[in-house]
Amino acid sequence: MSHTTIRNVQQQDVIYELKAFIGGSTQDTKCNHVDLAKTALSLLKTLPAARDAVLEYFCVVFNSATQNFIVRLETEIATGQLPPASEEDETIISEIHTVISSFVSLNAESWAPIISTWSLELLGELSTRYAGRAHVSSGVNETLQLWMSCRATRTLIDITTQCLSSLIHSDTEACINALLDTSVKHSPNFDWVVAHVGSCFPTTVITRVLSCGLKDFCQNKSYEQGCDSPKIKSVVGILGHLAGSHCDDISTALLDLFTWSLQPPSLQEAEDVKPQKKATVPFLLQLAYLSPTLLVAMCKDIKSILTLDVVIKLNNFIDDWCKYFGSPEALQDFIVNLIIKCDVGGVQIINILLDCIFIGKCENEVVKERIKSTANEMLEYILQEIDLLIRTQIQQPNTSINILDSFIREAEDLHEILLSSERIKLKTACRIIIFIGCNNPSVLVKSSVFLFKNAKSEEHLAFLMHILTNELLDKTREPYVEKGGHFAVVLDQVFGKMFEKTSANDGIIIDTHRMWKNLLTLLQWEKSDQIPLLRSKLISRAIYANLTSLTRAFGSNKLEHDEYHTVAELLDLLDLPSPEGHQSYTIPIEAILNFTFATVNYFFVCCRETDVTTKFIGYTRTYNILKRLTLHSKAAKMRALRELLERALFTDDKLLFGAQAESIISYNGGEKLLLDQNRKNNKTIPLTKNSSVLNGGVIGSGKRKQFDSNGLSKETVAENMEQFIRAIKACCELPWGEENKTVDLSLDSLTSVSLLLVQFISPDVMYNGLPWPEEEFCKVTIERDFYIRRLFNNTPLLWELLSLVAVYRPTLCYCSVLLRAITATLLHQWNSTSDQSKTADIEKYNAIMDTTIKVIDIMSLGQLLPPPLSGIRDVIPYLKCSEIVQVLRDCIWNYMRDHVPSPALFTCDASGVYWRDPTLARPPDIYTTTLRIVMQQNIKTVGHLYSHMFINIPQVE
Amino acid sequence: MSQLSGPEIKHTLRKLEFPLCAKEALTKIGQLLISNRTPTLKHMDLALDLMAELVFCEVDRRGNKRPSPLTSIDELQLIDALYDYFNSTANETSRNSVFLSLFSGTTAMMRLGVLSKLVSIAVGVPSPPILISASTWMQQLGNTSPNSIQLAKALVRDYFILAPNTVPKLKILPKIAPQFVANFLTAVANIYFCDGKKDLFTFPPQCLLETITFWIKENPGLCIAAQQMQPSLPQGAIAMEATTPFAGLLKWCILASIYNQDFDLYGQLHLGLISSILEIPVLTTPRAISAQHLVVPAGSIHRYALETHSKLKRGEGGDRQKLFKEDQTLQLCLDRFAQAVQVALSVKCVYGNIEDLFTQLQQLPQNRLLHIVIGTHKQNK
Repeated sequence: MSHTTIRNVQQQDVIYELKAFIGGSTQDTKCNHVDLAKTALSLLKTLPAARDAVLEYFCVVFNSATQNFIVRLETEIATGQLPPASEEDETIISEIHTVISSFVSLNAESWAPIISTWSLELLGELSTRYAGRAHVSSGVNETLQLWMSCRATRTLIDITTQCLSSLIHSDTEACINALLDTSVKHSPNFDWVVAHVGSCFPTTVITRVLSCGLKDFCQNKSYEQGCDSPKIKSVVGILGHLAGSHCDDISTALLDLFTWSLQPPSLQEAEDVKPQKKATVPFLLQLAYLSPTLLVAMCKDIKSILTLDVVIKLNNFIDDWCKYFGSPEALQDFIVNLIIKCDVGGVQIINILLDCIFIGKCENEVVKERIKSTANEMLEYILQEIDLLIRTQIQQPNTSINILDSFIREAEDLHEILLSSERIKLKTACRIIIFIGCNNPSVLVKSSVFLFKNAKSEEHLAFLMHILTNELLDKTREPYVEKGGHFAVVLDQVFGKMFEKTSANDGIIIDTHRMWKNLLTLLQWEKSDQIPLLRSKLISRAIYANLTSLTRAFGSNKLEHDEYHTVAELLDLLDLPSPEGHQSYTIPIEAILNFTFATVNYFFVCCRETDVTTKFIGYTRTYNILKRLTLHSKAAKMRALRELLERALFTDDKLLFGAQAESIISYNGGEKLLLDQNRKNNKTIPLTKNSSVLNGGVIGSGKRKQFDSNGLSKETVAENMEQFIRAIKACCELPWGEENKTVDLSLDSLTSVSLLLVQFISPDVMYNGLPWPEEEFCKVTIERDFYIRRLFNNTPLLWELLSLVAVYRPTLCYCSVLLRAITATLLHQWNSTSDQSKTADIEKYNAIMDTTIKVIDIMSLGQLLPPPLSGIRDVIPYLKCSEIVQVLRDCIWNYMRDHVPSPALFTCDASGVYWRDPTLARPPDIYTTTLRIVMQQNIKTVGHLYSHMFINIPQVE
Repeated sequence: MSQLSGPEIKHTLRKLEFPLCAKEALTKIGQLLISNRTPTLKHMDLALDLMAELVFCEVDRRGNKRPSPLTSIDELQLIDALYDYFNSTANETSRNSVFLSLFSGTTAMMRLGVLSKLVSIAVGVPSPPILISASTWMQQLGNTSPNSIQLAKALVRDYFILAPNTVPKLKILPKIAPQFVANFLTAVANIYFCDGKKDLFTFPPQCLLETITFWIKENPGLCIAAQQMQPSLPQGAIAMEATTPFAGLLKWCILASIYNQDFDLYGQLHLGLISSILEIPVLTTPRAISAQHLVVPAGSIHRYALETHSKLKRGEGGDRQKLFKEDQTLQLCLDRFAQAVQVALSVKCVYGNIEDLFTQLQQLPQNRLLHIVIGTHKQNK
């Protein structure tokens, strides 16, 4: 009996609930919704058979909650005030959420598929129904935010993710299928759900979505069917959404799918796997075709995916794919189209094709040949296609060619191909660069710079020219036309970079020598006039445009020896500035000055060159260039002379010419500055007039020591001096057409040399005049006289220069001050030298004697001392010191004092030679008497000279 | 009302809203089928039309198929109407005949959704009148027929998979509707441990197994309940013999060990079944267990033996019989088989070709108990 009562009570309850639910859910009467929801939930627990109806009722509940939410939002938009949320809705939904989520968590395996299908379907309906209301659906993110702020939809999404996460390891297939189906049905309003769910379980969703898509794709027999399948569109849509934040996951999933398809089917796998594997690649291609983002995901790292081994494997599938696409041509078309659409990986793809062309190892020869020929064909096809597109683009400028963007982005990789030794690779890369250059000259220039700097063979250079002269390029484009063409810009960048490099980081070693050689080769080609492409004087124009920086580079001290020679050859070949001056190109003065400076620098480089041939070729080039430059511009001449002299006399270069290096002189404890020593003295010794430390030595350190400083042999020094003089001469050449037989150099220029010498040697501007003062006056100038003298002692080159100047009369006159200083110091020295020193300190005696002879020689050569005074040089070695003093003072000094050494003493003859007629300029007796007496006193030794000087005198006829 | 002609009845009913029209139609159908002792063909046709159009809403008034089926809530309303109707019909015969016409052999598959929900609710509430009708339905269509199995599957899903919390409530079900439970058990026994197409065995959920064991242990007569009470059928109908669940459930217990399902529960179920068999009253004509059904596990055992043998062949290559003797799971399985056969034979409830049963048993791998059972049988002959 008790059973029956229990049963009845129970029966009553359940039936009551069922009826209450039916009543409540079918009538629109205002019943208590909260109670009704509770009843429904209770039914769900007690009568599972009613679940469909209950869930259907919940759809209504969620719908009305969503509607309320939307209406609230709309009210807010209209009035600016957000009405309060319905508490009833909140309660009901939270109640439902609690119960359903407990179902799912307790018994996921059974409930999750039911609930997830329901919630997805409901979400789909709600999204579609309220799409466009209370918001403008502009993007997934905004839609997502809108719906996530709605209690009802957020709860549904929570439920869905809970279902999926509980099934993530067992039965995701069902859930994802539901997701896809709903997505197909409610796209695009449903996209936000997919995006949200997808980002909760990116890996699973992506993998699953792909596999569902593949399964569906397998149902299609042909390409046309495959395109229209709604499922594949939905797959693309979903992956497209996820691509934003989970691009890597997608790439991985796609790659996994691809690798899976390549594995040979195992025995355990079900029957339907085989067609799926076959269809994988067409499926992937189709996806890529439909979605640019997926295309990007696939191409991003295609290099590491499509290795040669993989390509060989793929070969087995080709026939099936061809069937799918209809014909091999269709497949090829399709792939080529895809490739052209690639935003990324373009270069990688080209590389793969090139690798295929050069495929090495392959067991099957037939397969190998097939791969080779197909790759060749594809490559050509792609390039032609791009070519065509570019030509159409010129007419319709607003189209874009994706693969070009990718090429631009991957220009670095392209450069690697560019340096290949294989002709096909090289050619391909060149064509691509030309394509890029069409719209993007800067990239073209960058690549050209690269090629130009790194070209290792003539072939490379030929391709460089091919690129730069290609007809596809718009050569009138700014700023390229202004700067003198593309190649000029290339050079501009190269030189620009070079300076940057040398100033900023020396870490990267760039083979600049190769670059110079390349430039030289190009110029040689142009000058040879054999190559039609270069008829436009492309190279020289570019060099002209960059002459300033080029010459600046040439003048920098950062280059290697070889580079200097190459650049010199280049510049010599350039034949600038042209002597005829008929070229339209005028060289900027800065370039001229740079060039001059650099050439002078190059001269010293040559002096240091060890290889004799190179050295002499270098000298010749230097003279040629100097000649051209100095004739072209006075400024250049002055710069050249000044630079040559200054460097040869005062810098380390002077060592080349046998000069003494003062800087290496060091005492114990290092070199002491004269200034410092004087300061020290100031402190310790009371100031007297002559308390300076003289250059003769340092107190406490003894006499200044002489150093035979450099290891250069006398021959080398002599050789260097000779070349230096030739360099100076080169600067003083007469203009073309003005040469005459007797005078080979321009006197004006030599006058400059002479003046420059004075300027450099004389320590101040005082007393530099031509006249010789009274000997007494030498006391005033003694210090500077010694200074000058010391320079002459230390610098043998000065004597050579004086000799040069002396030859070209009357330019020596301007050096009067130097001669005077030397003579004054000599007088001084002879005065203080005793006759014993001739034997006691023979070295010193010889030195003084030597200098005396040299100075008299030079004055005689310059015709400042007429005969018989010019013969003194031969006499003095036989004289006593006191006699030498007498002769120097009475004959030379006094004569010079009374006959100011000025150009006025000279007359110009018919052939343009300046000279003093020795017969007319014979000095009066007053200047020769002392000499005569002294000679007479020493007639035993100087008799032979006496007759020559005083007796057999040539007479005026 | 009974005077109205067919079209008039339809016309009247069509004026009503959905749940109401179904309710009225059901009453009408009941009248048409039951009022006359033997319904005329015309009445039958009208009743069938009313079912299709006004009850299940499968066709519209012109007899064309309706594009959109009932919504779930509508369906629930219909089930409610059916529930009310059956519960309010006191006469079991009338109830059964309406039930059988609504879900006849030809329409059952189509209406199975409604049927299984109706029965499921009847189980959940519970409602003995509907369960009795359902039991009759199962029996008349064959309790191992696809329809019955579908119904059983739906019920298992509802109560044992989706809502295991309701299981305690179901424990008293054999007391309320023993025949229904018996038929349900026969159908359920055929869902699991069955050779499917892909050789995939499915096993009953734990709570289902627990419940069945409980039912059988508590109600020793449950298994033969359907055979013991004949359903009330409309006149002229031929009562179908119900198959007992013995053979099917014994198969579970026998095969459990070799499919590694050897929980204690199967042992208990086995015991319960053996005890139930012992309670079967001895009849002159045995009808409880078919020899043909009883022999079914032999096939699976053979296959198992073969697989085990081939797996170990390479290693030992030796004595087949020894190998089987040492295989404990196999021995347990054979023990249970032998027990079942022995007990069933002892109460003389096995019908059909018993000789064939023994021929098959003799071919099984050696087992002491089985050997004895076979020996005994030979002696008794």
